[in-house]
Amino acid sequence: MKKLIVALIFSIMFGNNQIPGTEQKRPILLRGGTLHTVTGDVLEEHDLLFAEGKIITIDEQIQPSPETDVLDIYGKHVIPGFIAGYTRIGLTEISAVKQTNDHSEIGEINPNVRANVAYNPDSDLIPVTRSNGVLTVNSAPTSGRVAGQSSVMYMDGWTWEDATLKHPSALNLNWPSMRFDFRKDAKKKEKEQREGYNKAIREMEFLVRDVRAYHHRKNAKERKAEHKQKSDLRLESMIPFIVFKEPIHIKANNVRQIEAAVKWSTKHDLNIVIVGGGDAWRIPEILVEKNIPVILLGVQNTPRRRFEPIHTPYKVPAILQKSGVHFCISLDPGYPMDGHVRTLPDEAMRAASWGLTKDQALRAITLSAAEILGVDERIGSLDLGKDATFFISDNEPLTQSNHPTKAFIQGKEIDLSDRQKDLWEKYKEKYRRLGKLSE
Amino acid sequence: MIRKPYLVVFSLLLAQTEPVKDIHVNPPRVWALTNAMIHTEPGDSLKDATVVIRDGRIDKVGRYIKIPLDAYEIDLEGAHIYPGFIDGWFEVKKDEKTISPDEHWNKKIKADYRAKDDLKIKEKELKALRALGLTAVHIVPEEGIFKGKSDLVILDDDFTSYKKDVAQIIEFKTTGWSDRSYPNSLLGVIAVIRQTLLDANWYQKSTQIIEKYPEQNKLIPFHPSLSQLADFQLNRKPMLFMTKEEHGALRALRIIDEFNLAPWLLGSGYEYRRLNEIVELNPFIIFPLEFPSKPKVKDPHIALQYSTEQLKHWDMAPDNINKVFEKGIRFSFTSATLKNKKEFRKNLQKIIDRGLPKSVALSALTTYPAEAMGIEKIMGKIQPGYLANLVVTDGDYFDNKSRVTSLWMNGKEYYVANRYKTVLKGNWKLEISGKSYELSFKTSDNKKESKKGNISTHKKQKLIGVIQGKDLNASVSEIEIYDSTIEFKADGSFLSLEGMLAFKGQISKDKIIGKFFDGSAQQSFKAKRETKGKDKKRTKELKSNTKLFYPEGSYGIGKDLLTPNAILIDNATIWTCGPKGILQDWDILFVNGKIDKIAPDISVPLGSALTIDGMGKHVTPGLIDCHSHSAASSINEGAQSVTAEVRIQDVLYSDDINIYRQLGGGLTTANILHGSANPIGGQNAVIKLRWGSAPDELLFKNAPQGIKFALGENVKQANWQGTGRYPQTRMGVEQVIRDAFRAAQDYRHVQKTYERNSKAKKKNIPPRIDLELEALAEILEGKRLLHCHSYRQDEIWMLTRIAEDFGFTIATFQHVLEGYKVAERLAEHGAGASTFSDWWQYKYEVIDAIPYNGTMMAKNNVLVSFNSDDAELARRMNTEAAKAIKYGGLDEIEALHFVTINPAKQLKIDKWVGSLEEEKDADFVIWDGPPLSIYSKVQETWIDGTRYWSVDENAQMEDRDKGLRESLIKKILNSTTPNTGKDIKPNSETPNHGHNCDIIDSDLFGAEFVQ
Repeated sequence: MKKLIVALIFSIMFGNNQIPGTEQKRPILLRGGTLHTVTGDVLEEHDLLFAEGKIITIDEQIQPSPETDVLDIYGKHVIPGFIAGYTRIGLTEISAVKQTNDHSEIGEINPNVRANVAYNPDSDLIPVTRSNGVLTVNSAPTSGRVAGQSSVMYMDGWTWEDATLKHPSALNLNWPSMRFDFRKDAKKKEKEQREGYNKAIREMEFLVRDVRAYHHRKNAKERKAEHKQKSDLRLESMIPFIVFKEPIHIKANNVRQIEAAVKWSTKHDLNIVIVGGGDAWRIPEILVEKNIPVILLGVQNTPRRRFEPIHTPYKVPAILQKSGVHFCISLDPGYPMDGHVRTLPDEAMRAASWGLTKDQALRAITLSAAEILGVDERIGSLDLGKDATFFISDNEPLTQSNHPTKAFIQGKEIDLSDRQKDLWEKYKEKYRRLGKLSE
Repeated sequence: MIRKPYLVVFSLLLAQTEPVKDIHVNPPRVWALTNAMIHTEPGDSLKDATVVIRDGRIDKVGRYIKIPLDAYEIDLEGAHIYPGFIDGWFEVKKDEKTISPDEHWNKKIKADYRAKDDLKIKEKELKALRALGLTAVHIVPEEGIFKGKSDLVILDDDFTSYKKDVAQIIEFKTTGWSDRSYPNSLLGVIAVIRQTLLDANWYQKSTQIIEKYPEQNKLIPFHPSLSQLADFQLNRKPMLFMTKEEHGALRALRIIDEFNLAPWLLGSGYEYRRLNEIVELNPFIIFPLEFPSKPKVKDPHIALQYSTEQLKHWDMAPDNINKVFEKGIRFSFTSATLKNKKEFRKNLQKIIDRGLPKSVALSALTTYPAEAMGIEKIMGKIQPGYLANLVVTDGDYFDNKSRVTSLWMNGKEYYVANRYKTVLKGNWKLEISGKSYELSFKTSDNKKESKKGNISTHKKQKLIGVIQGKDLNASVSEIEIYDSTIEFKADGSFLSLEGMLAFKGQISKDKIIGKFFDGSAQQSFKAKRETKGKDKKRTKELKSNTKLFYPEGSYGIGKDLLTPNAILIDNATIWTCGPKGILQDWDILFVNGKIDKIAPDISVPLGSALTIDGMGKHVTPGLIDCHSHSAASSINEGAQSVTAEVRIQDVLYSDDINIYRQLGGGLTTANILHGSANPIGGQNAVIKLRWGSAPDELLFKNAPQGIKFALGENVKQANWQGTGRYPQTRMGVEQVIRDAFRAAQDYRHVQKTYERNSKAKKKNIPPRIDLELEALAEILEGKRLLHCHSYRQDEIWMLTRIAEDFGFTIATFQHVLEGYKVAERLAEHGAGASTFSDWWQYKYEVIDAIPYNGTMMAKNNVLVSFNSDDAELARRMNTEAAKAIKYGGLDEIEALHFVTINPAKQLKIDKWVGSLEEEKDADFVIWDGPPLSIYSKVQETWIDGTRYWSVDENAQMEDRDKGLRESLIKKILNSTTPNTGKDIKPNSETPNHGHNCDIIDSDLFGAEFVQ
């Protein structure tokens, strides 16, 4: 069997070897576990019943029906699957190899491109990442001014359609840089640099107007056939976000970018989320006032500025929490970080070490992320009616050497093996044969 | 004073040898300038004195001297006369067409080039220089690393030279990766400078031997660059290094010290930051008189772009020269960097206001550069025998209001401006036909923005005037002055005349005499000055009272670090990382920077040791990072496949804030490695994180030397396009390395043969020292540790085989992400493995990376460490180590070894650090909980018994720096001085680099300087 697995690994170059979970056919009762509900208290020695992919009952004691599978998990923990709010999972295999990258369409304005259609459900990043409890990710296009539409993806499925939890989750924008070189002898004169920025903003203004005009004309009671608005995929794709206020995710780290993005969204009455938010802690009040959430990209960062207190990035989540900013924690994708989504719990733990409570930190990678991505009806906590998307482990959720021992996505049990564990097993065998390993 | 006949003037010689072109020109060359205030030399002046000039030289100077009968007298009453000023720097652009026929193989070395060959000064610039009183400039070549030779030329119409080959000019000129020619990084530039100086020495020696024994030696072709350098080096002629910041000066001085050169620097204005180190070799410094402009702080969010040390620099830079002076360093000034040359004197006044004595300022313009250039007997003073290079001013030169009126160069006068400044402002008594009227002039308050350049805040002042008649006042308009002529218009009503009157007159000091007319008849007028208009009183700038930190800027050390003779930690949990394992409730005593004793209970006499209550605390050895790129200003010299000659120790950057941040994570020692741009990179440097010290003091003195090699995608340049450098395959990589080692063997063989044969030594040219082959030979001799960047099992296996073929052992494989596949080979060979905890996926060669790598190798008897390769990760090495527990289930003691004793053993420094054992260095960390826990924090970090980081002090410094920043921004907002000077490039933002083996110079801290 082992040989077969090994053979399989090498026959499929970029495709993982883990078989998607099967639909939940029978109800499952988890008996006696510690339930980290996130919405409410931690429930010790409680039962959880789920069927057809949904959580049915949570109680101190549940009587299983005869067709229910019962799993005794006394002393173990049930934790909602972690959610990474901004990734390129499924859209890249090897960051440095262009052929494997599908996250950066050419051009500046690509509102119409959709992440989920390029999500490779056989990517090796998926099993590796979910091995650490990250069971849902938001996968996003990342390049250009308007990068495209992101999708919330389950970390399991035969096809991208199986794996799509929500599409679109947002329209993704990258706010233009506002770092100007003000020196007299700068390569480009200050005026020119400002003009470059203003041009980018003006283009965005026109884009918003064009979308509204497109929508208007399409719905106008104009009868003449020749006046019919011809199709424009870019403009059309933006209608939900511009006209119907679906969320727009704006990547902005610098305080001036964040301010400008907020101003822009207020002006156009849009619904935005700040992605990155490195400097968000400097202006939490405006984010609270305008009710703008933040997908914080990374806690374990160096301070943005030389003079900032050295632990600033570690403390940002606590500052945002205290100020009342709605935020979740994710990681900044890109070379060499795309594969690092599995360390999401590390980021939360670091935040918990520097001012967040562990409960708050857990919420920042579960329910808060679900809320900001608009999928909190489905995932993010252990609540009745929500998807059975959680994992079981021997330890508390934010424990360093935690490994999920079982994981479910919509009630389907997930294969927790991955390419790395397979290689580990393969080479254990090598050293066993060499007589160097006894286990 | 005895005249020295050997001081034969060069141009006179020329004049003597050059045939006459048309008819003879023989202007009189004997002058007596009388009644002037003569500043004969700094600190010495004669009132109402006379200087006699004869044939271009000063004949006599004094108060009561007899004017020679043949001298023509020029009355300079009220004027000041100074010795001609010397400008220390003027760059001459090399004419591309002139190529030396015997060029050095490296086109960046042009030591034989003479700047004067291509000297051109634009008329406008020449005028501006002369207007400053500059009579001589030090002209320097501007191209390359060894740029060539400078001259001192007089700013007369012939640019006469009195001193050629003043200095050899050297620049740390880095070009970046767009330049494929070696060297393109700071690392490479320094290596090239060292190698070339060695070559020059060797060339000199060899040519001498060849001259004596031509038949026994291979002839060496004439090499102008090396021969020039040998001349400068062996005769200790000035070697002038251009610097852009204080670290440039330290780097230059290190080379100067190594080769015993005559130390000259082009100053950066940052010298005050490391003055104690700079003063050691007492260099002569040429200072551009330019200071930073005001940082843009009006928008608080834009103000964030400036680091605190930049704000401080704005405040402190104008005090730099005075601080340098107080240390006894001699220097000269230059106007070279100023676009508006008028700022030269304003800036001179600024530094005098801030405390530089005037006599010193004068010395820096005259005697200091003259002495440094070896022309102190002919220039810099007004004394008999000296060249008649004089500056005539209408007042004290160091009062910015006074003007240079003429220059004398080689005894010839050059007009600069009118002797009398036509000062109109004030009240005049106007007389017309015997009647008097009041005429007054003042500056209008109506200040207009200058039209040129909207951003400039330069105010243009306009003169206005008025004539007071008996009943009527007539306003005076269209006032124009040129030379000594004045014109204006006034309404004739005050004379009961109709229409406008046009006045035109000659103005002298206190009189205007002229005529006016109304379009037809002319009448005479006279005006006498009654009072002079008062100039606004200048507010003097004050010395900055901002305190300097080490390093300068945020979190810099401002007071002595805590260094008790003895430290006792009581009742702590001690993770020894040695044979004793974990000791609970034990005591540990440190004395004189070493670990003295570890025991269940230690008592010391009361007060003899700093006692720390260890209850509930954990103590570990200082953490060690076996792969870092922090604290260096240059990482990759990628222009060649083999660059074993470059050394990280040459580019250590002790101001890197990451040193401080990493101390806050318990790191005390780091292995700073060259990048992975080429198969054979450069020499690494093992440092201790001694925050606040100068670069050299970071070095871990006992650590053995090492070198970085690299394999795989980076060195075959697989992830970049359009490079054709050999090698492009792993096959080629192997060959490059074997080839290099074979060359090193050949090299040593030649050296040893020569050394053994004492007869040969006398008559044969010595083998040339090659820094590259030297380093490679040291690897073969086991004197240099080899650390190799690697990923795939095949290449790891390959390199162990090469090492075995050549008879040495690899010290560590770095990254070594497939090490788990060949653990038995690593163990058998005896190489250490320094790997990541859980990195993967970023490029093809890491496709098989697994987080179990460290554990699996360790379980197969490989010496394993975890490293950072990342400035952020380096401050949480403890939780990285903990991942060995998560992945593969390593024991927690062994996991901590991954970042303590194991990397110490890999770097062969375990005799001193890596574990808490008696007699080792007092490098330790106090934690508030178990050290592998992400929920524990560092309380204190100590190195050599000195506390470099603590929670309390960090908090104090946060407050201190916050306050300092606020007060600096306030000061800038309140500053009323005109905003001139050089704009500072904001540098506060310090992006985090991920896996930064491939970083280039411009990515690094302080990069603005190395570009």
